[in-house]
Amino acid sequence: MINALVKTLQIDLDYSVNSFIYILSKLPVLRDLITNDIYKSKTIKRIVGFLGILFSIARAAFLKFMYFFVILFICYKLFPNQIIQAFFHMYFLLTILGLFINNKLLNTSKKKYFSIIIFNMDATAFLRANLFWNLLTNMIMNMICIYLFVDYLLLSPTIIYSIILVLFTLGARLVGEMLNIMFFRKYHYIWYTNNSLYFPIVVGLVGACFLPYLNLMIPFKVLLGFMVLFLLLGIPAFIYILKIEDYKLIYKRLTQMTNVMDSKNEKDYLKQAMVDVKEKDKKIDSSILEKKEGYDLFNAIFFERHKEILLRSARKYSVIIVIVYGILAYMMTHYANYNQSIGEFLHVKLATFVIIMFFINRGSIITQAMFFNCDHAMLRYNFYRDPNVIVELFKKRLLTVTKVNLLPAFVIGIGNTILLLISNHSYSMISIMTSFLFIICLSVFFSVHYLVIYYLLQPFNKEMEVKRASYSFVTLCTYIISYWISGIILSSEVLSILGIVFSLFYIGLSLLLVYKVSPRTFKLY
Amino acid sequence: MKLEIHDLEKSYGKKEVLKDVNFTFEDGKIYGLLGRNGAGKTTFFNALNSDITVDNGRFYLEDEFGKNKLKTTDIGYVVSTPTVPEFLTGREFLKFYVDINKDKREDLKDMDYYFDLVKLNREDQDILLKEYSHGMKNKIQILVNMIANPKIILLDEPLTSLDIVVQEDMKKLLKGLKENHIIIFSTHILELATDLCDEIVVISNKNLELIPKSNLNSKKYKDKIIQALKEDNND
Repeated sequence: MINALVKTLQIDLDYSVNSFIYILSKLPVLRDLITNDIYKSKTIKRIVGFLGILFSIARAAFLKFMYFFVILFICYKLFPNQIIQAFFHMYFLLTILGLFINNKLLNTSKKKYFSIIIFNMDATAFLRANLFWNLLTNMIMNMICIYLFVDYLLLSPTIIYSIILVLFTLGARLVGEMLNIMFFRKYHYIWYTNNSLYFPIVVGLVGACFLPYLNLMIPFKVLLGFMVLFLLLGIPAFIYILKIEDYKLIYKRLTQMTNVMDSKNEKDYLKQAMVDVKEKDKKIDSSILEKKEGYDLFNAIFFERHKEILLRSARKYSVIIVIVYGILAYMMTHYANYNQSIGEFLHVKLATFVIIMFFINRGSIITQAMFFNCDHAMLRYNFYRDPNVIVELFKKRLLTVTKVNLLPAFVIGIGNTILLLISNHSYSMISIMTSFLFIICLSVFFSVHYLVIYYLLQPFNKEMEVKRASYSFVTLCTYIISYWISGIILSSEVLSILGIVFSLFYIGLSLLLVYKVSPRTFKLY
Repeated sequence: MKLEIHDLEKSYGKKEVLKDVNFTFEDGKIYGLLGRNGAGKTTFFNALNSDITVDNGRFYLEDEFGKNKLKTTDIGYVVSTPTVPEFLTGREFLKFYVDINKDKREDLKDMDYYFDLVKLNREDQDILLKEYSHGMKNKIQILVNMIANPKIILLDEPLTSLDIVVQEDMKKLLKGLKENHIIIFSTHILELATDLCDEIVVISNKNLELIPKSNLNSKKYKDKIIQALKEDNND
């Protein structure tokens, strides 16, 4: 087993070092200095390897440190009177969550693929070595963090709690690995790829973390009891894992699902799976396409085949929004204080809708679907790169994307109008109308924005990986600016007029840019 | 019709892949482009198709309208891993292609004619391209190039992973297409090249070299090609 561990760590290190040198050799200045001979140099490799080890230790320690820090920070901010109890409550639930989502034995990676499939290592020895290494490193980090955060800062009364915390984490991880493998053996897929299982568990457990906010907490003794239980269950789980003989088979099945050796990482596959054409969208009502041809037909089929992720999800959003507005209307008509505060909110804090519209807009997922399912292939055809074709299709897409996004925007706009009308404070018609227009404008703005940045900063390469940081950077900036604007307190008339003017200006400018620049930027890299 | 290549050069970092390439391809012929692994076949195609920037080089197309700079719209490029828009069915993709080309071509046939050409079953025509096999996708790629009718067709190892029956079908298709087209076909397989192609061009020592067939029997011709390939120092 030690031999297997040393070998995997060696492969791991060689792989990291070569990848790092490869990345360096692609950087603007360094690429002229670095030649292929560098891979032969043992000294350079040793230095890079040493730095790599240091970096990976620092990274793992930092992440663990942040994990504890964030939990404690939340406890400190939200539950200042019961920090220790809240910490135990949260830590317990998050560890249980980790048990479900953080499994090491079933994840696939190139390094694992090299070891098990290419180098044909003994998979059982590999499994044991990796499990052992993972548990050991994790336990050491946990011990340090628990000592630092729990013992030192919280002045926990006894050392026994810290020991229980460390051993509980260990036990829970083993139980998690065992359950995941059992599930995979029975159902042949990893449970978290099934959204109907994943979301309830994640939302449920994360939500339960914040129960102390409602003065609800798992009693301390019950928590301790469960912790000891997991600690004990860790023993049979450990034995179960040690007895696994068919790890190679399991791993082969996993790699077939995720196609590890393709240069994409798992996340890219998940992204792609997210925008896959859904079964019920495969058949299209032929009457919709009857009179269409050429690019019209092409665009119409694209949106019909992605109805589930585009139109139906916009409808689902709209239904949820109607329900929320129904509740708000009920509160306003039955409680005078809500009537006033909601009315005021809509009047002076209309800017909040900037961030709401940012999240509601389907632009990001639409452009992802466009790339993965359409443009990735089509951009290889020369006619598709013709400037006229790019602009023509852009116009058609923009129209459809805007229409899709307008549905929830209309619901919000009308909802706001109704709430302002039933408010006891009589707001002017101008105020009501401009706030409605503001919401519509925001929706059009985000629709244009996402499509424009996709056309101008097309971020994916032929292997469907995000290769250009500028796209992610602009998306992040959009979020930060939207968040910042959301905090602005301004009367709805002024804000709406400013917002509308800015949006129209932005839309005009960006359309001009797309027409001028996108034929050069909209391509595969 | 002629495709002229002047002074083409391309390097990746310090590694020169193509150097001082000067060559002329003519219509009515299928050119087999042979080269060892890493010799630069795909780089050559990508350079012609403007998929990569070249360090130097000019490409011209001479036809009945005179000699003009090569445009990407003159080229149809069938890549080795077929890429097709997976959200469309085979029939929808073909209809789209016929639609956008009908102003440029008067002699377009109906879609069934094209499907019959590549022997694609009726039931396969109406399933998503995502569900097509490698060979079926390849057939669709070649079909759309027939419809678009570009003057130059580049085929990057299109037959290598196809079964023998499909290979034979595709060979017939390509032979039928060569009139009024310049077809350049890259492959590793010598037999395929000598069987299908009218001319063999070898990429060796960063350059293109035509291997004349004059008065050689098949065996001697093959030996000559292998000799030319062996001279490549790229390894």
